[in-house]
Amino acid sequence: MKTGVREQMANFLLKYGVITALLILVVLFSLTTEAFFTVDNLFDILRAVSILTIVAIGVTFSVVVNGIDVSVGAVTGLAVILSTALMVIWQFPWYWAVVICLLAGAVIGLLNSFLILKLRIPDLLATLGTLYLVQGLQMWITKGDAVYKGMTNPWSPTREIAKGFVPKSFLMLGQGYVLRFGNFRGVPVPVLVMLIVALVAWFLLEYTRFGRAFYAVGGNAEAARLAGIPVKRYRTMAYVISALLATLGGLVLASRIGSGAVKAGDPYLLDAVASTYFGFAVLGVRRPNVWGTVLGAIFVGVMLNGLTMLNVPWYIQDVVKGLVLISALGVSFAIRKESR
Amino acid sequence: MGAGQTCPRFNMAVLQGKSLRKTFPGVVALDDVDIQLSSGRVHALVGANGAGKSTLVKILTGYYEHYEGQVFIDGRPVSLRSPMNAFSNGIEVVHQEVDIELVPSLTVAENLYLEAFATGHSGTVVRSRQLRKKASEDLARIGFPLPVDAKVDELPLHEKQRLVIARALLRNVKFLILDEPTASLSLLEADKLFDLVEDLKNRDVGILYISQRLDEVARVADEVTVLRNGKVVAHFDFVPQLEEIVEAMLDSPQEELFPKKEKRDFGDVVLKVEGLKWRNRVKGVDFSVRRGEILAITGLTGAGKTETLKLIFGALKPDSGEVFLEGRKLKIREPFDAIKMGIYLTPEERRKEGLILDKPARENISLPFLKKLSRSLGVISKTQEVQYAKRSAEKVRLTPMDVERQAQYFSGGNQQKIVVGRWLSGNPKVLLMDEPTQGVDIGAKREIYQLITEIARNSAVVIATSEINEAVGIGDRILVMRDGKVVYEVDRSEANTQELLSYAAGVKS
Repeated sequence: MKTGVREQMANFLLKYGVITALLILVVLFSLTTEAFFTVDNLFDILRAVSILTIVAIGVTFSVVVNGIDVSVGAVTGLAVILSTALMVIWQFPWYWAVVICLLAGAVIGLLNSFLILKLRIPDLLATLGTLYLVQGLQMWITKGDAVYKGMTNPWSPTREIAKGFVPKSFLMLGQGYVLRFGNFRGVPVPVLVMLIVALVAWFLLEYTRFGRAFYAVGGNAEAARLAGIPVKRYRTMAYVISALLATLGGLVLASRIGSGAVKAGDPYLLDAVASTYFGFAVLGVRRPNVWGTVLGAIFVGVMLNGLTMLNVPWYIQDVVKGLVLISALGVSFAIRKESR
Repeated sequence: MGAGQTCPRFNMAVLQGKSLRKTFPGVVALDDVDIQLSSGRVHALVGANGAGKSTLVKILTGYYEHYEGQVFIDGRPVSLRSPMNAFSNGIEVVHQEVDIELVPSLTVAENLYLEAFATGHSGTVVRSRQLRKKASEDLARIGFPLPVDAKVDELPLHEKQRLVIARALLRNVKFLILDEPTASLSLLEADKLFDLVEDLKNRDVGILYISQRLDEVARVADEVTVLRNGKVVAHFDFVPQLEEIVEAMLDSPQEELFPKKEKRDFGDVVLKVEGLKWRNRVKGVDFSVRRGEILAITGLTGAGKTETLKLIFGALKPDSGEVFLEGRKLKIREPFDAIKMGIYLTPEERRKEGLILDKPARENISLPFLKKLSRSLGVISKTQEVQYAKRSAEKVRLTPMDVERQAQYFSGGNQQKIVVGRWLSGNPKVLLMDEPTQGVDIGAKREIYQLITEIARNSAVVIATSEINEAVGIGDRILVMRDGKVVYEVDRSEANTQELLSYAAGVKS
């Protein structure tokens, strides 16, 4: 009987652990700070986690096919620098900047799958290599400079001032609001983008044969192949989707800060991986899943937000993040073991 | 079997297992088995798959903590309840997959003293020069040359076996078990192994030689024990006529297991295979199958049956050879292509290759044909999928009849039914089945045979099985494969299990 109770406790913890922790955090922060429980603040939090969520959903795809993409942070950063550099230094219209960035993202995704499928480098190592490569490219584009209006063009021999700028239309993506009425400030565009990405990804993975195939490949690649699933095609798609969503996250980030900071994407890698693995545990689904990842990302975001609001010094925040990631991985893998 | 003999030579030793018995829930794997190994003699242990050979090996090597009976060495009872026990009594084994005993990234010298590293006898700091020197000296002492600096993963298979044997010799092995040592060796390599066995005999090692290949048993053995269904059915203190061994190995066929053969007329040739080759495992296989016909391919483990089926299905890439479906030459690169043409495979290792274990039966059944069950945008129609899965589950009589249950929670037989069931509604033109009743209980076996007969009404069925009785029981025509080639072909009406086993085991060729 004793073990029964303990097992039930453990099960409850595994199933509702993340949600419970999230609720506790929210209540805690509401009690200690004012203005935590308002609609505006809710959207503020969602906006704060929107980029992370988009990137994390990409990572989720790579984990669904039983791999991992650790190049996402660098890809996010590349999109930030590349998009702003295209607009500011080379004066491209914003839509061309977006298209070029997405193409670059797709190419990186293809490169990852080439390394993994053709050269048979393990997922983690292949994408680690890409991480460095892309980070290097990111620096190279501007010779290590940040991108902002009125910067000197790093590629101009006469050190001219760059003539371009980041236009309003592009800034909408990260800073705009839609559905504004009355007192309501409106829904932030990044939140809208995040919701659309999450809805599409969720629908794709849960309700279509493509999603079924993604999960089959991750569950048992050889069995999937012998059942006629083109395994390589699906693994390639997973890495392309991952890189594309990292790029989208980077575009939103660039629009939000309005300029191109070097290595702006780096922090998203670890947070996105952490969110994905949190997602394993949510509601006891026991597999990477979109809503789990979204909740995981919100959890990570709320935690960071809250820690800042509680005046926890920045130099301790990483320790907390580390502990949380370890517990997330611990919980996920304990579940995995049990299910085998 | 004689009791403890007197020892004329100093290092003579005798190992006796008496009344060894091992049961698992519902199965008696080994039943009252006596066995004796003597220094300088090769004792061959033969028997069909599942006869109890590996259970006996596991007892002698201390794999099981619990078994009945007693092992004696030189008349003294010894306890073999852990690998360390076996080890300290001088009993060692060379497994069929020799690689599991070696660390591929280390050198021969390092692998020789692996155990010393593990126990710390070598000291904490490993001095590689000294290690090499010691290895060369030790190998010279036992007169067993090996390239001490070579990395193990660069060695050919027979050299790896030599290494494992050398290691055993350095530890003063008294009894060595060779478990299907030639299963993966080329003929030339096998010759070297036989020389080695001769050498070991001269070193007064007592050898238990496990093999299904009777031609090599005739070559190396001094005495022979035949196991069948966990019991010793024959023992010879000499090598008898191989036909005698064949007769002893064969189980009486259980006719009632198999459905009555109805008189059927076969249709046109559906599948034709020509000159199929793959590495050194499949060496030019030809055959054809008609609609309505069940072709059974039998042969020992490692004869190339599995590979042949996988080559047809596109799961392996043939080096050469052609596959024709209804007279048309096929280009199959991946299983995906074969499935599109109506060629389906149920793989040998259900859990590893057949099922996604943590998914419900429904998803495992619908996986290949999800496209048909989807609406626009690839959205799966859940109601259609459930119906489809239930229909298939009913056809194969899945128990329990619950398509939402995860695949891993079904019994072996029902897991097989899920794998078969997934292809039923696809109207197979050709169904390839690899060991369809392996690990399946008797009741489920009968059902699966019934099912195969039903499928064969409209399809060509090819079954790979290492059970000769199964081949004769279910096949309309039987092929025997050995070492990657078809060595014998016979109609069911003229099939004779002794003849088939003789070809499979290399007694006849």
